[in-house]
Parts: sequence; C-alpha cells; structure tokens
Amino acid sequence: MRPVTRRQFLATTGTGLAGILATRTAPAVGQVREISYLCWNNFAPASDKKLSEIGQRFTKDTGIKLKIDHISHMGPQQAKYASEVQTQAGHDLVEMRMHFPWLYEPQLVDVSDVVAGLEKQYGKAISSAYEGAHVHGVWKAVPQYHGMFVCTYREDLFKKASLKVPDTWEELYTVGKELKKMGNPVGIPISQNYDSISTAGPVLWSFGGMEVDKDGKTVKINSDGTTQTIEWYKKMFKDCMEPEVLSWSDASNNESIQQGKAGWIHNPVSAYIIAKQRKLVTADGINHHRSLGGPKGRYETDTPRHIGIWKFSKNIEASKEWIKYLLGKKETYDEYIMSGDAFNLPVYAKLTDHPVLRTDPKYAALKGEGVEYHTYGWPAPPSDKVQLITNAYILPNMIAKAVTGTSTKDAIAWAETEMKKVMAG
Amino acid sequence: MAIGTLPAARAHARLPWRARVSELLDKERVLGPLFITPALILIALLVAYPFCMALYFAMSNAFIGRPSHFVGLRNFINLWDADIFRQTFQNAFVFTGISVAFKLVLGISLALLLNQQLWFTRMIRGAVLLPWVIPTALSTLGWWWMFNSLYSVVHWTGINIGLMDPPGPNWLGQKYYAMAAVITVNIWRGLPFFAITILAGLVAIPKELYEAAESDGAGAWSRFWYVTLPMLKPVLAVVVLFSTIFTFSDFNIVYVLTHGGPINATHLFATYSRMIGLESGRIGEGAAISLYLFPLLVFVVWAQLRFVRKQAF
Repeated sequence: MRPVTRRQFLATTGTGLAGILATRTAPAVGQVREISYLCWNNFAPASDKKLSEIGQRFTKDTGIKLKIDHISHMGPQQAKYASEVQTQAGHDLVEMRMHFPWLYEPQLVDVSDVVAGLEKQYGKAISSAYEGAHVHGVWKAVPQYHGMFVCTYREDLFKKASLKVPDTWEELYTVGKELKKMGNPVGIPISQNYDSISTAGPVLWSFGGMEVDKDGKTVKINSDGTTQTIEWYKKMFKDCMEPEVLSWSDASNNESIQQGKAGWIHNPVSAYIIAKQRKLVTADGINHHRSLGGPKGRYETDTPRHIGIWKFSKNIEASKEWIKYLLGKKETYDEYIMSGDAFNLPVYAKLTDHPVLRTDPKYAALKGEGVEYHTYGWPAPPSDKVQLITNAYILPNMIAKAVTGTSTKDAIAWAETEMKKVMAG
Repeated sequence: MAIGTLPAARAHARLPWRARVSELLDKERVLGPLFITPALILIALLVAYPFCMALYFAMSNAFIGRPSHFVGLRNFINLWDADIFRQTFQNAFVFTGISVAFKLVLGISLALLLNQQLWFTRMIRGAVLLPWVIPTALSTLGWWWMFNSLYSVVHWTGINIGLMDPPGPNWLGQKYYAMAAVITVNIWRGLPFFAITILAGLVAIPKELYEAAESDGAGAWSRFWYVTLPMLKPVLAVVVLFSTIFTFSDFNIVYVLTHGGPINATHLFATYSRMIGLESGRIGEGAAISLYLFPLLVFVVWAQLRFVRKQAF
C-alpha cells in the first residue's frame, strides 16, 4: 500500500470535516441510529419489563439503539412534554393519553401511514382511540392500547351479605347502603384527580347530561341530567361512602379495596392485578362486573394510550420502525398485551376479543357488551379547551361543592360559569 | 527561575506589559467591575433572562408549541374573572400570613431556647435543622402518609387512645383541615430557618446590655421586650422578608399533599400556574398567574429593606 503523505492526509480529512460541518450530518458509516422513548410507568408493572425485553430484541434485529425512559403516570410527564416542546429537544417518541395529541398537535409528526398499516392488519382503531389521536383529519399519534374502567367489587362480601350485583347506578345506591353498614363503603373519589372524572363522566352521560355540546363550543352542563347526577352523588356520599373520598388520589380507591376497606370501586382492573401480584388476602375476593347503566344508556370511560413522534426528532423513520416493530408484528403485539394482564387491551377492532381476556375468569366483564366507551369531555370533540375543563377538575369540584353543602343549583351555576370562561378564553 | 534564564532583551520587553496590567488592576474603577462581572453574567443568564421570558409570556397568548401574539395585560385582567384564581389569591394570603406569623413566634421561642446552656447543644442545633435540610418533596410525602385517610398513624393513635371518633378528621378532604395541614407542614419546614437565623442574631447581642438592664432591675420579660427584641429587629425584618417571598411561592407542599384540592381550597400561585401553564398548555396565562404578585412583592421588599437600613444606620 502506498504511504499517505501528511499533506494528503490533511487534505482528505479537512474536506471530509468541511462536508460534515456544512451538511450537519455524520457520514453514513459513522452514524449510529439511536432513538429514545418516553413512556409512563404502567399500572401493570410486568408490562414495562416486557417492553424493555422487546426493545432489546428490536435493537438486535434492526441495529437501531432504543433507550426507554419511564415517568410517573400523571403529573410530571406534562411538565416534561412542555419542556421538550419548548426547547425542541428530548425524546423521539412519547406515550400520550387523553387529548394530548390535540394539545401538542403542531409538534407531532403525521403518523397516518403507520396507523393505515395497522388498521389494514387489525381492523379499525376503536372509537375512543380515534377521538383522542385523530386530529383534524390526520393521525397525530399511533393508538397503542387502552385500559378501560369497570366495576370492581368484593364478591366475597356480596355473597356473604346476599347482595345483588348492581346493574344500574340506582341499584348501586341500594347495595351501597348495605356495604357502608358492613364497614365496607363504596369508594368513588370526588376530588381533584382523573379517576374522579372517569366516574363522574359515565354517571353524567347515563343520566343524559354532558359538559360541552357536540359542536365543541356550547356549554351544556346546566341540564336535568346534571341535576340528576348531582342528586345521585349526594345520596351516595351521605349513605354509601365516607368523607375521605374528597381527599383521594388516583391510587386511593385501589388501595382501599386492596386493604379490605372498600366494598365497591370504579376503576380499571389494575386494583385486582396488583392485589393478585402482591398476593394480598383480598385478591381472591375481588371480582369485576359489567359497567352500570342509567336512564339514558350505559357508558364507560376509556383512556386509550398512543405513541407520538416529536417533529424535532432527527430519527423519525427509525421511530416509526420501532412502532411498527412493537405493534405491527402480531406475535410481538400479543406478547406485549399478554404481559399487561388485561390492563393493556388492544385498540384495534379485530383484536378486541383478545386471548388475554380468557386468562382469568374475572376479566369477563372487560368484554364490555352493550357498553359505549368514550374519553373525557364526550360528546364534545377533543380540543385544548375540553382538556382545560378536564385539567381544572370542574366536574368533580362541582360535585364536591354539592355534596358538602352547596345547593345543586348553585353548584351547577358555578360549573357553568367556569366552563364558559374556559370556552371563551 | 524561568525569567532568570530568558535573554535580557526578552525579559525587558515583558516588564512594561506586566507593569501596565498591574497598574491597571491597582485602580478601583477597573478592579471593582472586573470582580462583579462574573456574578453579573450569572444573574443575567439565570435570573434576568428567565424573568424577561416570563414577562413576555405573561403578556402573550403563548400556547405550548404554537406561535404567540402580544396581548398586553389581557391575561392579568381575565384571570380575575375566574373563581379559581380569586380562590387561589385568597389562599396565598391566608397560607402565607398564618405560616409566617407562626414561624416568627415559634422561631423566636426556639431560638431563645437554643441560646440557653443545654446539654448536647451542638447536636440539638443540628437536629433542629433537619426539616430544612431534607428535600421538601420527600418530607411532605411523610406528612401525606400521616394525613392519609387509610394509613394515617395520627388517626390510628388518636382513635386507639380515645381522642378521636372513627374515622377521624378528614385532613386532606375538608377545606379548613386541608389548609391547616399545608400550613402545618410549611411551619414545620420553615421553622429551622427562622430559629437558626434568629439564634445568630441573639448570639451577637452584647452581654453588657443585659447586665445593664439587670442592674436597673429589669425582669426576664422586660429584658426580652426592651433589649432582645429591638436588637433583633433588623434580623427579624430580613427573615420575615425572605420567608414571605418563599412562602408565597411555595409549590412542593401543596402539590404533594393536596394537589390544590379539595375544591381548589389550597391552590397557591405556583400550583395553579402549573395546572394552567404546563398541564393545559396555556403558557401565557400560567406565566401571568406566577407574576401576579410581583408588583406587591417588589413593594414589600422595598419597604422592608428601607426599614432594615433605617435600623442599621
């Protein structure tokens, strides 16, 4: 081999360096494709382990390095998203919930091509996933899984006291009175957390009420449906629950039934999953039943999760490859869903009757037959204003005011004024 | 040694340069600004820039990740229409007023106690600082555990010794109890700052003043009222000033303990600002909330510093 002179070496490396600096791109040989993914601590912890395992396989199969970071489920991640967007730096992919794709719409990559591929394979995305991630005619995040609310109760206590499993919110009041007498009250939070809205929403809808109309502009909280909802909450609070529900966090109802206090709660199956995993004495007695109905229907809150890609990401294609790897391979998606022990359910039509629902007879209620699922704020289309009404906890605070002494009329008037201010802002 | 080995001509050429620099540094008008410049750069980067950004956001309709427009004082005016903001405004004054008053009285008492000849003085003084040293979020979690309706050790003890009827007080679910809870934790956390600073002031009071007062027949209360308190006034003014600002802008305690609830009864400017600015994306409104009290706090700082100067000179 001909020796390279110092002059030749300097000329070659100098030209190469100038090219890298001018194009701001490393040469293909030197490029290591690496993506980072910010997701929340899953309520079914085994699912996080499985995600990490799949991630390692992804790196092995594609050569793309994947770094997965976890963040607490509610609260800190919103500050994290805001700072990443403001600084235009951070993770490539982020897990999203509720109306987040609407909030961050201008900053998210159009992933319609990825969703089209998944829908072709698995059928249409379920309605709640569509409501949350399909923004102005474009998919701004890829539906990943959903964890829906269901009625969780202490079957052993019900049997012992010969109580009938309720089918409507009114019937819950009847059994709730007995449960409270037994020292096992109903546990529905009426506080500043999302679980409070997850219950208040279905109750309101089933009595025919709503916060904002379908047009997304007109506040409709002042209605007979809301009055009936508040009256129902008032008697539930007085006869079936304890005042502690006014201070509860998202985890409190889970803990209450797990620790043997609450006899009935409204929650995803995570309360049971954790009780089972930790071998708590209450685990065997916990079961689930079909969601409750009211005069105007049978509704349930659904909280689908999506994966979004920030526009500032320098690895958009590699990020899409990861989503396709996790969700687009049936066996991998199944593996991921199975690890969630029925907390993470598939969000595509052909997969809704998933084998995970048959892993435990206590998951039968999750089939949700005859139940209509929606995200927060329904029937208003998701928007930043609907998100603000949700985040300001106006609905649970209206109920909290009413159960602690404010008249039903005044509580509704307060909520109406606050919601109108949000819509006008 | 190096200079000694240089050729004479080169050494000669360097001398005037060094001499010139040395001469320049001898001048106060050059050396003074030179010393201050690094601090000024730090303040400009870490204080002035974020403050100006906050001011800009507060007067715009900034929404996370979207272009914004100047809206003048609209955010500040609109905020006053919201019931939640008015509630927050009231909460901030109640929280700060009661907390600072308690911290002041208890701080003076604790400082007087620590100033006595006690056994293990150093250990006790160190232990008193613990609430101030532990990260607030962590210590507040401990308090949250104690106030929690399901696990509360306070309830368990109270009920078992017959002081409380089951299920016990609803600490975080009833608005007055919840405010009392966040105030209690703030006092617990802020007390060491008061006590140790006031203790430093106490130690600096000349013993002769007490001896003179005693020889004039002054009792313990008179010595405290006519000697200790007047001599502590400048220290107290500074401590109260700092504490007022810190307490108004408190975040951790309320965020961990009540999340602003029940029914917004404990929201402070910082927690409400976070809810609007970060959780809901309305950065403009969020910034306006956090800056709402700025003019008032500037006045408080000006008045108190003026008072301190008067006391000092």
